[in-house]
Amino acid sequence: MKFLVENRFGMLLLVVISLLALYGVAHVTQPPETVTAAPQPKRVTVESVNTVCPDPGDSVVSAVAPGREGARGGAATVTALTAPGEKAGPAATLDQPGKLWQKKQAARTGPLIVAGDGAMAAGLEAAQTATATSGARRGLAGVRCVEPAAEAWFVGPGPAAAAEVTLYVANPDSAPASVEVAVYAGEGPVVGDHGFMVEPGEHRTVNLKDIAPSPLVMAVSVRTGSGRVASAVRAEMGEGRGVDWLPQAAAPAKSVVVPGIPGGGGRRELYVAAPGESDAVVQVKAITADGFYALKNRETVEVPAGSVATLDLSTGIGGQPAAIALTSETPIVAGMVITATGTRLDVAFSAGAAPIDLGSVVADNRSGKDTKSALILSAPGKAAKVSVQVLPAEGAAPAATEAEIPAARTEQIALPKVRGAFAVAVTPLPGSGPVYGGRVLDQRDGNGLLITAQPLAAGRTWALVPPLTDSPSTVLP
Amino acid sequence: MSSTDVPYGARHAVTAIVVAHDGARWLADTVAAVMRQSRPVDRLVGVDNGSRDGGGRVLEEALGQGNVLALPRSTGFGEAVGEVLERLPAARAPGVVEWVWLIHDDCAPDVRALEALLWAADHDPSAAVLGPKLRDWLDRRLLLEVGVTVDRTGRRDTGLEAREYDQGQHDGVHDTLSVSTAGMLIRRDVWDEVGGLDPALPVFRDDLDLCWRVRNAGHRVLNVSHAVAWHAEAATRRRRRITASDHHPRRLDRRNAMFVVMANLPFRALLWALVRNVVGSLFRTVLFMLAKQPANALDEISALGSVLAHPGRMLRARRARATGRKQNYPQIKRLLSPPGASYRRIVDMVQGFLSGAGPVDSSGRHHAAAERQEQDDGDELLVDAGVMQRVFGNPGVLLFLGLLAVTVAAERTLLGGDRLGGGALVPVIGGASDLWRLYTEGFHATGLGTDAWTPPYVAVIAVLSTVLFGKPWLAVTVLLLGCVPLAGVSAYLATRRMIPSAGARLWLAATYALMPVATGAIAAGRLGTAVVLVLLPVYAALATVLLAAEGRRSRRAAWGLGLLLAVGTAFAPLVYVLAAIIGVLGATAFGSARRGVGVSVGIALGVPLVLLFPWLAQIARHPGQILLEAGLHRPSLVDPRLPAADLLALSPGGPGMPPLWVTAGLIAAALGTLLIRRQRMVVAVCWGVAVFGVLVAILAGRATVTSIAGSEAAPAWPGVPLAFAATGMLVVVALTSHRLAEFRAAGGLRRIAAVLAAAVAFSTPVLAAGFWVYRGVTGPLRGDLPDAMPALAAAGSEDGERTLVLRSSEAGGLTYTVLRNRTPLMGETDLPAPGQARGRLAVAASGLASGRGGQDAAVLATYGVRFVVLVAPIDPAVTRALDSQPALARMSLTETTGVWRLASPLGRAWIADSAGTRTPVKVTRTPDGGLTAAVPAGPAGRTLVLAEPAGDWTATLGGATLARTTVDGWAQGFTLGTAAGTARIAYDDQWHAIWLWVQAGLVALVLVLAAPGSRADEAAPDYADPPPGEAAPAEPERPAGRRGRRAKRSEVAAR
Repeated sequence: MKFLVENRFGMLLLVVISLLALYGVAHVTQPPETVTAAPQPKRVTVESVNTVCPDPGDSVVSAVAPGREGARGGAATVTALTAPGEKAGPAATLDQPGKLWQKKQAARTGPLIVAGDGAMAAGLEAAQTATATSGARRGLAGVRCVEPAAEAWFVGPGPAAAAEVTLYVANPDSAPASVEVAVYAGEGPVVGDHGFMVEPGEHRTVNLKDIAPSPLVMAVSVRTGSGRVASAVRAEMGEGRGVDWLPQAAAPAKSVVVPGIPGGGGRRELYVAAPGESDAVVQVKAITADGFYALKNRETVEVPAGSVATLDLSTGIGGQPAAIALTSETPIVAGMVITATGTRLDVAFSAGAAPIDLGSVVADNRSGKDTKSALILSAPGKAAKVSVQVLPAEGAAPAATEAEIPAARTEQIALPKVRGAFAVAVTPLPGSGPVYGGRVLDQRDGNGLLITAQPLAAGRTWALVPPLTDSPSTVLP
Repeated sequence: MSSTDVPYGARHAVTAIVVAHDGARWLADTVAAVMRQSRPVDRLVGVDNGSRDGGGRVLEEALGQGNVLALPRSTGFGEAVGEVLERLPAARAPGVVEWVWLIHDDCAPDVRALEALLWAADHDPSAAVLGPKLRDWLDRRLLLEVGVTVDRTGRRDTGLEAREYDQGQHDGVHDTLSVSTAGMLIRRDVWDEVGGLDPALPVFRDDLDLCWRVRNAGHRVLNVSHAVAWHAEAATRRRRRITASDHHPRRLDRRNAMFVVMANLPFRALLWALVRNVVGSLFRTVLFMLAKQPANALDEISALGSVLAHPGRMLRARRARATGRKQNYPQIKRLLSPPGASYRRIVDMVQGFLSGAGPVDSSGRHHAAAERQEQDDGDELLVDAGVMQRVFGNPGVLLFLGLLAVTVAAERTLLGGDRLGGGALVPVIGGASDLWRLYTEGFHATGLGTDAWTPPYVAVIAVLSTVLFGKPWLAVTVLLLGCVPLAGVSAYLATRRMIPSAGARLWLAATYALMPVATGAIAAGRLGTAVVLVLLPVYAALATVLLAAEGRRSRRAAWGLGLLLAVGTAFAPLVYVLAAIIGVLGATAFGSARRGVGVSVGIALGVPLVLLFPWLAQIARHPGQILLEAGLHRPSLVDPRLPAADLLALSPGGPGMPPLWVTAGLIAAALGTLLIRRQRMVVAVCWGVAVFGVLVAILAGRATVTSIAGSEAAPAWPGVPLAFAATGMLVVVALTSHRLAEFRAAGGLRRIAAVLAAAVAFSTPVLAAGFWVYRGVTGPLRGDLPDAMPALAAAGSEDGERTLVLRSSEAGGLTYTVLRNRTPLMGETDLPAPGQARGRLAVAASGLASGRGGQDAAVLATYGVRFVVLVAPIDPAVTRALDSQPALARMSLTETTGVWRLASPLGRAWIADSAGTRTPVKVTRTPDGGLTAAVPAGPAGRTLVLAEPAGDWTATLGGATLARTTVDGWAQGFTLGTAAGTARIAYDDQWHAIWLWVQAGLVALVLVLAAPGSRADEAAPDYADPPPGEAAPAEPERPAGRRGRRAKRSEVAAR
């Protein structure tokens, strides 16, 4: 030791060796450069669901909770929307998971709340479907009963193109909601102050012609400054042109998939709105049974900021079941108008939807002589594999079937033959790619086809719990 | 002209009286000087107050036996003179004015002194007392007195500066309040009129009293500077024992001073002087206690006591001085020290300190002949310069200003905002009182609520903020943003004793201050590292003293080191571990060489453990916490894969790092020192520290830690150990830097090598400063942080209600925290939350964020949560999930913040009945910090639930104490009866309070023990009578001794 210290180079050697050793230790202990996977959200069961059917009068209201294994207890109720003070007893109580409940409501029935908790909350799904074979409202008009939310988007024909476009707003919560309605037309956003308050238990309808009389096509956003509302839009196209509800479109995003476009004849028209501050150049691709391709001469559509553009795809997808994938640099909202064939027409609407990663349930399906339901599933990415479970209103449920959708294809899934009305639960199986889908319900009568469509919405069986860390640094950006 | 005035041209008859008392070593000169006067004295009489050193013999030889009066040893000066004058009746010859010339045995008048005094007396017939200009016996040019005055507290004021040389600047004949009895010429008739020196004042201030009485009688007191006398001031310098009184000279001096002032002031002025004396004395006593001079403190307080305890004596004295006191006070008032003098003294002291002269002894100098000031390193003291030049000529001040300029330029983006925070630093809000409350309260109603110990660094910041006008942001700004200049100055001053060359010290200080650790600490808002950076050089300096100095100084350094180590440990506990390891190694190495080093090291390492005890115990239960520091632990502030090269280049990773090659110069220079043949041991020790620091840095940088206060898991930031390593390298280079000068002098190749080496070494601070300024501080620390607590939620929450704040984290997922009404204070975010409460809340919060519905909102309500806040970046999925909760109502949503309100909140306290129904209860806070809850009547089996973690809560309702239960596994419940009433809820924290008092006492004790103590020569005064025949003593021994010690110290450092 002493030698090392006294010697001129001894100590240098010693220090250099120790520094090299330190370098070595530090190098060896350096953690590998694996990108630590972001913590995955956990799946938890949904414990309560609260949905509102906007205008069930003269319609069939269906409700089903597929339940899940091992879950017990809980009940779902169907109640009329009332102010908080006046408590109405439930019109119906559902306590059997997997059993579809259906009831035709009397005319002039106010909004109904379908709420469930416990086992009857898992996947609780409700829908209202009206069928009229004559009159101004001839057609199949169905809509999914939605949960109140702070924001909702609708894309469809404007008041100038339709006989009547009505917005239904209901507030089932205990807090008042201040609602702002914004309309985007083909020419740009419709200027004006369209705000109103909806007190708890209150519901109201707004004729959109009062807000924006001129648009031929439009996108409507319903936002709340405070509180939440359940909103829905019904478009009556006019005598002999059909009627239907606009499904809620996915919130503005840079990538949108509009699923559930049925095959067969009729017009297929895509509406794309760019509600942001900048113009959008939207790439349009179709996903059909043949593949995932851009449409010739209709590769892109330009949407000026704040306006809605249309694109006729009737010939492009060649009468096949399809989905449309849209990508853009700026967030867009999209919808689709589907027209059936016949001497008198009916109309149906689809809209941009989220993938059904956690499964989806459609409450109202029918099978019969003239009536049929079809699932149209698309897998824009990897091949998808789903299990399809039919939940009939009567009788035992048949075994679940599996269906595969090849990568970048759309498939129409044949549903098992069941007597009468049934619900269907679609659940992607492990390893499946993202699945988008739609359900088309049609009924043939003497004058042609009645049709309604509904994009598959994420089911309410599971919720994703984000990984949550207790950290005081939350107070800092 | 009064009747007693001397007619012009009168003949003078002068009787000189020499009083001897153990002053033989000066007496012969004194007597010779008196006898040699150009205007001979008419009569010369000697008095010997029982000298034991042969003084009587000297007198008798010089004056003849008949002219010497022998008196007992206990006779005072005044008594002795009175005794002589009694035996010498006044000559009543007409036209003759008789004078008495009082001569101390240690006061030799100049040849022309008497002539000059009488000349002045001739010119001013009303002058009854005349005194010469007194100069020092040894240093013959040094001025001691040109007349003396006092202020109203009896503080003696000569009107001279310390060590003022006589260059004729005070010459002339002045009116003055008093002159010393040494060489005082007083008219015999006036002496008789006022009754001579007061025998009650045998020594000290007798002259003042006499002159004051003379003035009260309407005469004048003059100082005649043409008359000069050399005075040894033997009694006040304690060259001889005072036997006239048994008391300690200082006590006697203070007592007499107060007594004389209070006896001579008219009544109104007296009252004011009384107040000032009492307050001033108590204050000085405290100061003396702090300076560890208990003897002086005792003197001070007992002097005051002695004056106050004898009102009778005071009354008698006042009665005796009643005549003319009030009438002549206006004249006397002019001659007293002006009240502003004390402030001027403080200003002088500060100026002197800034210019590096060291503090002036402010406790009250008796005379102008201050001890010789220490020649401190030569360059520190520029003698003949103005204040500006003295201050700005100091390299330390220049270094500070330079680093300050660099810092301001680099931190341009941080300055001027209204909320500093970001990175590891929570936004600095609140005032010093909030920090004190946080530190002293037993239960912290913050977040989920906890009774854990507040980190002691909060107390340090609180102390600093109290000093800085009660503004914590100012304290944090100074410590964190100013850590570069502070660390630089600290390094510069701390190395004063270690490194001889000022240039090397400047280099060391600048390089140290601009280390990547410093810039990184600022960028990431690491207050802990910033404080440690400033303290580290002080540790090194104190440790050197501790290991190298002798007994008392070593012990004092140990206490100081212990205290500062406690401060550093409070901010960054890792400092303690590093210091402990190095300290133990040092103790084993030096322990054998020097006695007491082991004990000193033990003190230094023990003090932090004791001072920080309960908090340290809390830390020790989670050893990972040792690697963390004050503030937040966040993955974004560390480099999880810190490369090995970074660690060796002293770069701890994270934001604010300069490129690696910036520090290459320092490392190259440090490696170069290994080739130097001399000072091998120092080089080895310093390199040992450096290698050790890097090793600890590697361990810390690779250990993944989670804070007990809640955080995502991330490696610790190795800033503190790298600062240790850097210190080792810097010291080794600076210590060997003088070799460069030698090389340079050698010329040729060596000269080129020396210049190159200097350039390499200087590249590090220059590049570091340049990069820092060029880039600026861009890191997460910001000067204008937005408040995470929306005003909507803050205003809507009642006292104690909680707000759940959610934020999307970079790693994916969410982080949450619970706030109450406001952003947390610094330190509140370091409190550990109780595990039970936390777990349950986390489940509910994540359920809420998932949108699964259910009881999550109800569970949140049991926590007293009223608002759920989502802060930017806002994830639409989370917004949707929160929106989908029926139990939440959205109040606002912007791009940066969303606020939801619970539809049915329960508040801070609620009642659960046996059916499980929960009802909110109105809670109010009482002024004493307790809570009251209005409980309605109800069925049996109800529980009053306080949404705070169960603990030492007590509740009384109608005089009865409620039984405690724990609700939901965490909350404090109280079993209720059926009756209504007001429940009083309080947290029982008496042990906490007791410990805080103990801690305060311990801190005060350590402060006193660490404070610079009394001087060695004062501590052991030379009371012993000097051996007869000893020559006049040489300069005091002390400076030589200190120099010797310093030499020894540098030897140790160089070994």
